[in-house]
Formats: sequence, structure tokens, C-alpha cells
Amino acid sequence: MLVVWVCREDAPWSKSIKFYLLLGSIVVTLRVIFRIVFNLADSKTDAFLNLPSISINLGFGNSFHLLGTVSNLSIQAALVDGCRLAAIILSIGMANSLANPRKLLRATPGALYEIATAISIAINLAPQIISSLKQVRRARGLRGHSKGTKSLTGIVIPVLEDAIEQSMQLAASMSARGFGRKGKRTRFQMLVARLSTFLTLTLLTVGIALLLFSPTDQFIYLAVILSGLVFAGITLKVSSTKSTRTNFIVQRWQLADAVVIVTGGLILFSAFTGVLA
Amino acid sequence: MIETRNLCFSYLNSDGKQKSENPQLNRVNLKISAGEFVLVCGPTGSGKSTFLKTLNGLAPSFTGGVITGELLIDGRNLIGSEPYEFSHLVGYVNQQPEGAFVADIVLDEIVYGAEQLAVNKEKIAKDVDRLSKLMGLDMLLDKPVATLSGGQQQRVAIAAALIAGAKVLLLDEPTSALDLQGASEVLNLLRQLSQEEGVTVLLAEHRISRVIGVVDSVIVVHGDGSVTQGKPAEQFNDSRFAPPIIELGQKLGWKPLAITNQEANSLWRQAPAKYSEKLVNPPGELALKTSALEVRFGSVIAVQPTELNLYGNQITALMGENGSGKTSLCWAIQGSGPRYVGTVNTLSGDPKELSVQDRIGVVTMVPQRASDLLFLHSLADELQESDIFAKVPSGTTATLFQKLAGRIDTSTHPRDLSAGQQLALVLSLQLVKNAPVLILDEPTRGLDYSAKRALAAQLNALRSSDRCVLLATHDIEFVAMVADRVLVLKEGQIVADTIPVNVLGAGCELASQISEITNEPGLFTIEQVTN
Amino acid sequence: MNLLIARISVSIAGLASLLIFTWPLFITVEEQNEALLAQTVFIILMPLVLILVLIEFATGDISSKHLALLGVLIALNSVIRLLGAGTAGIETAFFLIILGAFVFGSGFGFILGASSILVSALITGGIGPWLPFQMMGAALVGLGAGLIPQTKTAWLQKLLLITYAIFSSFTYGALMTMWNWPYLAGTGTQLSYVAGDNITANLSRFIQYEVVTGGLVWDLGRAITTSVLLLLTGSALIATLKRAATRAGVGREL
Repeated sequence: MLVVWVCREDAPWSKSIKFYLLLGSIVVTLRVIFRIVFNLADSKTDAFLNLPSISINLGFGNSFHLLGTVSNLSIQAALVDGCRLAAIILSIGMANSLANPRKLLRATPGALYEIATAISIAINLAPQIISSLKQVRRARGLRGHSKGTKSLTGIVIPVLEDAIEQSMQLAASMSARGFGRKGKRTRFQMLVARLSTFLTLTLLTVGIALLLFSPTDQFIYLAVILSGLVFAGITLKVSSTKSTRTNFIVQRWQLADAVVIVTGGLILFSAFTGVLA
Repeated sequence: MIETRNLCFSYLNSDGKQKSENPQLNRVNLKISAGEFVLVCGPTGSGKSTFLKTLNGLAPSFTGGVITGELLIDGRNLIGSEPYEFSHLVGYVNQQPEGAFVADIVLDEIVYGAEQLAVNKEKIAKDVDRLSKLMGLDMLLDKPVATLSGGQQQRVAIAAALIAGAKVLLLDEPTSALDLQGASEVLNLLRQLSQEEGVTVLLAEHRISRVIGVVDSVIVVHGDGSVTQGKPAEQFNDSRFAPPIIELGQKLGWKPLAITNQEANSLWRQAPAKYSEKLVNPPGELALKTSALEVRFGSVIAVQPTELNLYGNQITALMGENGSGKTSLCWAIQGSGPRYVGTVNTLSGDPKELSVQDRIGVVTMVPQRASDLLFLHSLADELQESDIFAKVPSGTTATLFQKLAGRIDTSTHPRDLSAGQQLALVLSLQLVKNAPVLILDEPTRGLDYSAKRALAAQLNALRSSDRCVLLATHDIEFVAMVADRVLVLKEGQIVADTIPVNVLGAGCELASQISEITNEPGLFTIEQVTN
Repeated sequence: MNLLIARISVSIAGLASLLIFTWPLFITVEEQNEALLAQTVFIILMPLVLILVLIEFATGDISSKHLALLGVLIALNSVIRLLGAGTAGIETAFFLIILGAFVFGSGFGFILGASSILVSALITGGIGPWLPFQMMGAALVGLGAGLIPQTKTAWLQKLLLITYAIFSSFTYGALMTMWNWPYLAGTGTQLSYVAGDNITANLSRFIQYEVVTGGLVWDLGRAITTSVLLLLTGSALIATLKRAATRAGVGREL
């Protein structure tokens, strides 16, 4: 059933979806191949393929066998697993096909604003760096080529210097326009933010550890993790209070976005229900 | 509006710890009134940029250094404040290299400043509306900034600087990367802002000739720490950076000096001086010949099929607006640049066919961004490396450099040199190979008049040793100083190939300032005027 | 006090992320479904931990100059990756991350690592569930690089940097392979992890998996490329970055 979901051709998908579909199918194939090659011999169930068995010893650990008798159940399991994985990949892929990186950056929570700014600077600078590289390479020919390492530094250094120069001009322009204004955040508020982060991380770590190490009830570690998530939310909120900015440009969700999100959500949902069933 | 009292600013020493012994600005006392349009000028490296940056907090916050004294803007003493504390009062625009934008859409870029200052949305909307109409940007608000022309980009930068309601606008060489049209767009806008909107505008510029008639006052940053302020006509006793119109007035003893072309024109007509014809050097040996040289980028023809003869003993200027194909033509001639079809013939063959090492012995070139060639960490290393490349005795390049730029501490980092010094360095690197043909692509960017005169002298010295010099530039005054022959390139085609006076003289599209002032046939440079 | 809490938080986060990476070694429950639940939960948890640490570092005051320098290095990294994408196995992303972190500190390095991977992925369009893990991996590389001591002797410095490059290349490779191990090999093959088995047994299976899938070859390639690049350009780049830092007046505040 999952396979049906994944292979459904709905609505106008963009080119990148094909990439993710391809990726998904590669994953499924790989899984199956892996199963076949590194098969755990299980003579109790029906055989799917009967292949000769090759024994390999790498010198440590157990020696293992390649190929051998591959059971039906094995293949089935591999297919199902693979499809689940493909479903996850696909839903992420759909999100990606929508997202314009700049829109995403606009939507980041206030706490990450600085990093989002650094990233948007980087996105702006990247094409400039490429044309700078071309320019410098051409100019190098005017000087004659140096031997060895100097030729590499001869290209990288001017490009780097230039990029730094440009970015400093940009930083000056940003500062001159008011970037860097600190909100009225008292030391106490900062302490609270820090503590909140600390708590969240501790809770999450404990939850993870429980999940991994102790064979107890599902619910305990789920509860821990959930409370961790709650605290994470609090952290984000608290960290964002230092923001002193207006967000003038507002993203408008379009219909296409909504459709894809819903479909993606459905796919994820089915993947999960497959898990819990 | 702006007042400084005993303002002093010093950079830190290179170890980053102590105050330098020579303050960049020393005991500066100035008053600038609201709505004034002020030109800030001075020799290269004198501290114009630094001075501007003290007025919006970028110095010392961004530049490092120590500042003392009082700085009052709109009555508030803001000395030592961070830039964001100035941002609602003072806007700032620099050369704005491409790609140095925060956002990718025009609207986003403009509102950035207001967003940072948490202005409410309705006010932002109103301000954007008003400013974009004022600057002619209202049709462009949703376009990506990268697709705009240079002049449009600068207008966006100005709008972005003023969005938060700033009453003072500082501009640091905003037109240096623009061609004539872009530059005049920006200057007209600034005049409008000052006269109609009451914005106090401070403009730091090298290209003074067009601006001087438009400003209300001039501030000169002398380089020794002193800063003077006064009427335009009074500030140019130091001829190091005086524009042609001032030089002419000084030569002919006009009192007071004229600052607009009209004033100068009427003074000239009252008492026209005698002038001689400008002599050009006759062509020497044929140094380079192109046949059907064409450059294409995809389907765009950058350079139409060109037949061109370049001769020794001449400085040939290649003029044209940005995008007319000058740079493409230069690179195609040099041999490294793409050629769709065509050949170049020199005494040693077609540069394209030669190896890179041999090529630089035939045609050398100084590219637009001279610093692209510099990659070592000290002047001494660069000079040494050059000797090794060119296989000349150690110290040759150093001697050459000293002749061009004087004595400079050789442990200086090449990037710390001034624009003029960097140009001199790259020139000496290229000249040491003794190629018969030298090409320069836009060498005068960032140079003041005295540095330009020095460059002109160097080029003349080269020419007289029978070299062929090709100079690609849109700097009219420099061409007037130096050229024996002018080629004009329009959309990839050479539309003029003649002596300078026919391109720069009275009534021409590319007339020099002297031509515009005097309107005499055959007169287009100062040197021709005899006393 | 603030700083202490911050440091502890980051260490806990480091622990958490390591656990998330290496869970197949430790998982003790034997139910198939529990394991899958763990897998999907971790896909969400990793980005969360990552974001929390990023917030932690960003809580300090980052100046526009730091951001500009970050932006330059991120952009440069993305361009290099774009250009090097054709040549298989060449992982050029690390050497700039290591250098940047070395000059500007661990916090800078962490942010640089995570952001570089993110931006390269955005530009090349390779976003998938592996992304937060790659980001965390690279971020940890950056974090560690900030701890490399600065020495006066040039050759010693180079040696330290190269040692770290090799170490981090292999560790990153191991972590990423560990991450995709359950995904690609699933369960029930001879080289899969077995929930509940002891650590050494799982570890040996993992190593066999690494060898067979050629993971070690990739890691070796990465280690060599990074070391070579560091050797060739390291000192010049460090000098340039340090000079930029001095001129801009920024230090290792992060």
C-alpha cells in the first residue's frame, strides 16, 4: 500500500521531485540488493532465490557469507522497509521543491536571525565569488604562472581578499542602517534563556538515553522527550524576545504550497502508521 | 545640523594595540547646516572616508581607532556611539560593489533599515512609497537588485539609507564605479534631495569637476590631520586635486574663481587667453595589427569585426561607455581573451598562439582590478617574485617601483597600499618584462588628480621609448591629458578613430571640461593655454 | 556563570548528538517497531539539538563583522563545493571549516560548519533527511577545530592541523556511515545492526559494512584532499583571515 502511495502521480510536480523519486527508488533497490547479497540464511521459509553461498573472512569479527538462499519474507521485508524510507525522503523532497531559500530565511525564528543573515549574505556573495574567480584566473595569466603551491594561493588569496573587502562594505552598510541593536534584554533574561536551553538539552538527552538503553515502557521515554520538546518551544520563544525588528515582508502561503504540504503530510502519516501497526 | 568640536581621530598601529602617532583627523571644528550640499575632497589617502565614517559611528566602531572631542548631530552628542545609534539620523552609502546587498529584491533592500529600527508597518509602507517615487524606483520594487544598472543600484542604496527618516546622507565615492550616465543620475538625485527635501548631503568624491558647481560648500581633508571648510571657490589653493575649471581660473588669475561652467564661460569670453594647438606624437613603428577580430559571448556580439593598427610612440585611448566592449577588445588583443574569429599580428606573432610566458613579453596588460595580480603578503615579496618570473636580476622591479611610487616601506602588505600605489606596483610588475605593447584597462579609478598626472607622466615616458600604449577608459580628463589618438567604441564597433581634439573638443559628445567652458575650436586642455 | 551554563549545555548537546549518531550500537530493545520509531524520532531530534546549540552560540552578541566574515567563508565553501562537485570523492568542504574555526574560535566554527553544509545543499539542491546529520557532523568538526592550539612554530602548526584533518575526516565518515547503516542495510542482513546485541558484535558488523561499501575509501579521499589543501594554502589563508580579523577588530569572542 505504501508503494502505491509513493508511486502516485499527482498534480504538477517539479523536476526536483523526480530526483527524489529516483532517490527513493534507489534506496529501495539498494535495500533489496543488500538483502540478497548479505543474506541471513533462513532455511525455514519459502525460498525466493537459490544462490550459491560465498564465504568471506575479513580477519576480524565473524566471517560472513554472501548470497546463499534468499527467502520470500526477506525480500518482502526489504521492500517494505525501503518504501517507508522512500516515503520519508519524498516528503522532504516535496518540501524542498517548494521552498525558496530566501523565503525560508525570512521565516526563521528570531533567535536564529543572525545566522539567517549570515546565510543570506553568503547566498548573495556566492555568484560574486564565482565571477571574481574567473576574473582572477584571467588576470593570473598576465603575470605569468608561478610554480607549484604559489599558483593555487595566487588564485585563492585575491578572491578571498576581495570577498572579505566586499563583505566588510556590506557589514558597514548593515550596521549603518541599524543592525545590531540589542533589545532591552536584561542579564536575568539571558540567564533564563540559557537555563531553558540547558534544561531542554538535558531532557532530550535523557530521553534519548532511555530510548536506547533501558528496555522499559515506551511511554516513559516518550513523555521525557515530549517535555523536552515543550521546553524547546519555550527556549525558542524566550530567545526571540530579544528581537527588535519589524517584519515588513510577510510570506503568503499559496494554494500550491498547501496542496503539497497536505499530500506530504499524508505520506508521512502513512509511513508512521505502517510503523506503529 | 552637524557640528564637531575638537574632534580627533587616530587609527591604531599595525599591532592593533596602540594609538598611532599621526592622527588622521586633528582638532576638527566644523559646522554644517541643515539642507547643505557639501563636497568632501582631498588627496588620495588623506582621510576623506575616515572623516565621513566618524559622522555615523563607523569610525571607530568598524575601523578601529580612538576618537575624542564632541560630535553633535541635530543637537545630540553622539561621540563614541555605535553605528545603530546614528542610523535614524544619518544614512550612509559607499561604493556599493555589486553583490554587497543584504536582500535580493529591491523592496526588501530598501526596507531593511526601517525593519532594523522597528518602525511600524504603516509608516514603512508610506515611506517606501514616497521615496521610491522620489527616486524613480517605483516601477522596480519587485525586481532583483542584481538586474539593475549601476545608477539604479546606487539609487536603491540611497533610498535604503534614507528609509528610516535620516536627515543627513553621507556618500563615499558613490559614482566611482559608474559611467557618465549613472553618475549624473546620482548627482541630480543628490541635488534634488538637498534642495527640495532638505537632506544634508555630504559627498566624498574624486571626480570633482561635475560636482563643484552644484555644492554649497567644500570641506577639504588635507591629510595632515587638518580639515578646512569654506566656499567652493576658496578651497583649492592646493593644486594637487583641483579640477580643470579651478586650474584654469588660477592660471588666468580669475578672482573669484569660477565654479560652474557658465561662470567660467562668461569670464573666459570677457578675456579670452591665447592658446596653442595641442601637438600629438606621430605614429612610430607598427606595433600591432588586428584582422577581423570579433568577440562573442554566446549570441551577443561584444566586439564587431575590427581592423585596427596600433603604433609605437603613441598613446592610443579607447573610449566608450561601460559595456561597449572595451575590456573584451583589450583581452582579445592580449591573447588570453576569447576570440570568435580573427587574428592579431605583432612583430613576434599572434599573442594567442604564444605560450603564456612568451605572451607577456609581447603584450602586457594591467587589468581593471589591479589587485587581482597581488597575492603575497608584503611588498618585498611581490617585488622579488616579479624578478623571478621575468628572469631579471634581483632588484630590477624594486627600482622600477621606486621610480613610479617613491620610497615605501617594503614590509607593507600590498592590500594596504593606496589605489595609486597598487597601480604603480602592478605597473612595475608588468613593465619589467619590457613588452613593446602595454594595455591598461581603466587605470584611473580611485586616483586623485595628482596621481593621475603622475600616471600620465609615466605613460609619456614609456611612449617616448617607442612603446605602444593602449588605454581603455571613460575618464575624459585623463584622455585629454595623455592621448595622441582616440578610438571611440560604441556597442562593439569603432565609430571614431582620430586625433583627440575631434572627440574631446568643443561641441563633441565627450567634450572635456575645458572645451565646455571655453567653447574654442581646438582647445581642450589646460596646457594649451598660454599666459 | 552564564558562560559555564553555556559550555555545559554545549557538551550535553554534543553527547546527545553522538548518541543520535551511534544509536545502532546501543539500542537494546528488540522490537522491530521500536527501532523504526527511534529512527524517525531521531530525524526530528537531530535538527532540534542542532538548532538549540546554534541558538546557544547566537545568544552572545554577534557583530555584523562576524556575520560578514561568516558569510564570506560560507559562500567560498559553497563555491568550492560547486566546482569540485564533478570530481568524485573529493570533499573539499572541510578545509575551510577547519581554517575558519582555527582563526575565529569554536563557536564560529560550529556555525560555519552547519551553515556551509546547509548552503551548499541549498545551492546544489541536495536536501534530504541526511542533511541535519551532515550539518551536525560538519558543525562538530568546526567545534573541534576551534580547540586546536596555536603555536609559533610553522611546521608544528601544520602538523596539528593535518592531524586534526585526518582525524575529523575519518570520524565524520564513520558517523555518517553509522547513520545510514540502518537505512541502507536495514535489519536482517548479515551486516545489519542487531538490536540488543552487545556493542563489540555490532561494531564489528559495522566495520565490515564500512569496508564493503567502500566507506573507508571515501574517508581516505576526504582526509587526503583536506590535508593537501591545508598544506598548500593553509598558511596563506590563515594569514589573510587573521589580517582581516585585526583590521575589522574581531577576535575569538564566540
